[in-house]
Amino acid sequence: MSSLAASLCCPSTQVNGFGLRPQRSLLYQPNSFSFSRRRSHGIVKASARVDKFSKSDIIVSPSILSANFAKLGEQVKAVELAGCDWIHVDVMDGRFVPNITIGPLVVDALRPVTDLPLDVHLMIVEPDQRVPDFIKAGADIVSVHCEQSSTIHLHRTVNQIKSLGAKAGVVLNPGTPLSAIEYVLDGEFFCPNTALASVRDDSIVLTRVYHLFLGSVVDLVLIMSVNPGFGGQSFIESQVKKISDLRRMCVEKGVNPWIEVDGGVTPKNAYKESRPARSQKLWLCNVKQQAQKTLLILGKAKKSQKTITQMLMLLPYAIKSIRIKLNSFKVAHLYSSVQ
Amino acid sequence: ICSSGKKMGVSPKIAPSMLSSDFANLAAEAKRMIDLGANWLHMDIMDGHFVPNLTIGAPVIESLRKHTNAYLDCHLMVTNPMDYVEQMGKAGASGFTFHVEVAKENWQELVSKIKSAGMIPAVALKPGTPVEEIFPLVEGKPPVEMVLVMTVEPGFGGQKFMPNMMDKVRALRHKYPTLDIQVDGGLGPSTIDAAAAAGANCIVAGSSVFGAPEPGEVISLLRASVEKAQPTS
Repeated sequence: MSSLAASLCCPSTQVNGFGLRPQRSLLYQPNSFSFSRRRSHGIVKASARVDKFSKSDIIVSPSILSANFAKLGEQVKAVELAGCDWIHVDVMDGRFVPNITIGPLVVDALRPVTDLPLDVHLMIVEPDQRVPDFIKAGADIVSVHCEQSSTIHLHRTVNQIKSLGAKAGVVLNPGTPLSAIEYVLDGEFFCPNTALASVRDDSIVLTRVYHLFLGSVVDLVLIMSVNPGFGGQSFIESQVKKISDLRRMCVEKGVNPWIEVDGGVTPKNAYKESRPARSQKLWLCNVKQQAQKTLLILGKAKKSQKTITQMLMLLPYAIKSIRIKLNSFKVAHLYSSVQ
Repeated sequence: ICSSGKKMGVSPKIAPSMLSSDFANLAAEAKRMIDLGANWLHMDIMDGHFVPNLTIGAPVIESLRKHTNAYLDCHLMVTNPMDYVEQMGKAGASGFTFHVEVAKENWQELVSKIKSAGMIPAVALKPGTPVEEIFPLVEGKPPVEMVLVMTVEPGFGGQKFMPNMMDKVRALRHKYPTLDIQVDGGLGPSTIDAAAAAGANCIVAGSSVFGAPEPGEVISLLRASVEKAQPTS
C-alpha cells in the first residue's frame, strides 16, 4: 500500500496526460500529500447570479430588443419589479443578421442598473472577437451561434466564454438541426472543487471530492423559434419538436443545460415549450458530508473497470490531495490498468 | 489658414458624441445636452467589422427619436452603408454619414438614396485616406453636404487628437468655403483651437464633454473657438 500511496501522491506526476503515474517502487508514506494541481478542462468560475436559479425553474427572460432604447435603465428596472428572472440582450451586427442593435457599451450601462443575470445572445460574426468585451461589461451568460457563418470554432469559443467566468450558451437558428451541437452537449468530466486525501494505516482514504460530475460543455442551449434579426415575429411551430428532441438528447447524454427559447413566445404558446423536463440525475459525487459517499464513487464505478480508471485518473485533476478508501485488491487491479 | 480674410458662410455646430453618454438613460442624456447648448447629437453606429467595435443601430435611433427633436447626426462605420439607408431614414435619423473607403464605386447611388430617404448625406474619411478622394463627392450631383474628417482611428472613444489631420481640413476649407466640415476624435478645450483655425465648423466631442464637471461650459468653449476662427456671415 505504501507504494500505492506514493504513486498516488507523488507531486507533478503525469500519466497519459493525467496527473498520476504509478511508481510502485517508490517508498514513501506521508500522512497527507498533495497533487500538483493540474488545470482541468471545463473549470467554470460560476456566475453566481445565474446559479441562484435551478435548472428546473421556469425562467422568464424579457428581451430588451422590444424595449425603449432611450430609457433602457427605467425599462429594465420596470421588468425586474414586474418579476422577470433574467434580462435577455440581443446583440446584432448587421452582418450575421440584417440589423445592428447594441454592443458591449449598452451591457456596460445596464450592469449597474440591475442585479438580474444578463443573458447576452450574440448574433454576430466572429463572436470570439467580442466575447471578452461583453464579459468585461458584465454579461453573465454569453450565447453564440453554432452556425459556421457566425462561430467558426464553436468548441473553442464556448470554452473561451467559460474561461472568462461567464456561462456559455449555444444558439440554433430555426433551420439548424440539433446534430450541429451534439459535441458541445456531450458530457465531459469536471472537477472544479478540491478534495482531501490522507493515508491512514495502509489505505488511502478519500474524504472529500466535491462535485465530480459529468456536465455538458455548454451551460445553455437557445433554440430560435423565429429567424433572428428582428423583434415581433411569429413563433415557428416546428421548433416545438426541436425542443423536445433536445430534451431527449440531453437525457440520453446525461447532461442538463438550461434550455431557452427565443422568438414569438407569448402567453398563449409558452406552455408548449415549458413542459417540465424530467430532470436527469447527474452522476454526482458529493462526498463532502458523508464518508460513505467515498464508496459511492467506487460503487458506481464498479460497473466498469474503465470507469474506475477514468474516475481515478480525473480525481487528481483539480484537487490538492485525495483520500481514497480501497481495498488492496481493487487498488492493485486498478493500478495495473492505469499503467 | 483663415488669414486670407475670406468670409466663411458656415455656422458652428457642436455635436456631443452620445457614445460617451449613459446608455441606460439616453433620452435624459440627449435632453441634457440640448439644454446645455448642443446643436446636434452625434450617434456612432459601428458594426464590429468596419471598425473593431460594435455599438448601436437603427432601433436605438428609432427609440431616441421618440424623445427628442434634435438633429441626429448619424455616423455609420459599417462596411455596407447602402443596406442601412432605408432603416435609418425610417428610424428618424437626420444626417447619414458614410465612409468613402467602402463607397468608392457606388457613392453616387448612395448619396441619392440618402436624399430620397429624407436625410442629409455626408461622407467621412479615416486618417489614412487622402483628402483628394473626397473632392468628387463634394462636387458630385447630388453632392454630399458635409465632410467628416476623422482625427483619430475610428472605433473607440477617448483617443488622442491627430493634429496632422488639420492639413485635410485646411485643404477642404480652402477649396470649399461654404462646406460644413466636421471633425471627430479627441476634440476638446486643448485641441479645439487648432481645429477651428484650420476651418472646421462642426465639432464632435465625446469624453471632453461628458467627462467634464460642467459639460455646458465645454460646449460654449468649443462654440466660441469656432466662432472666433470662422466669423459667420
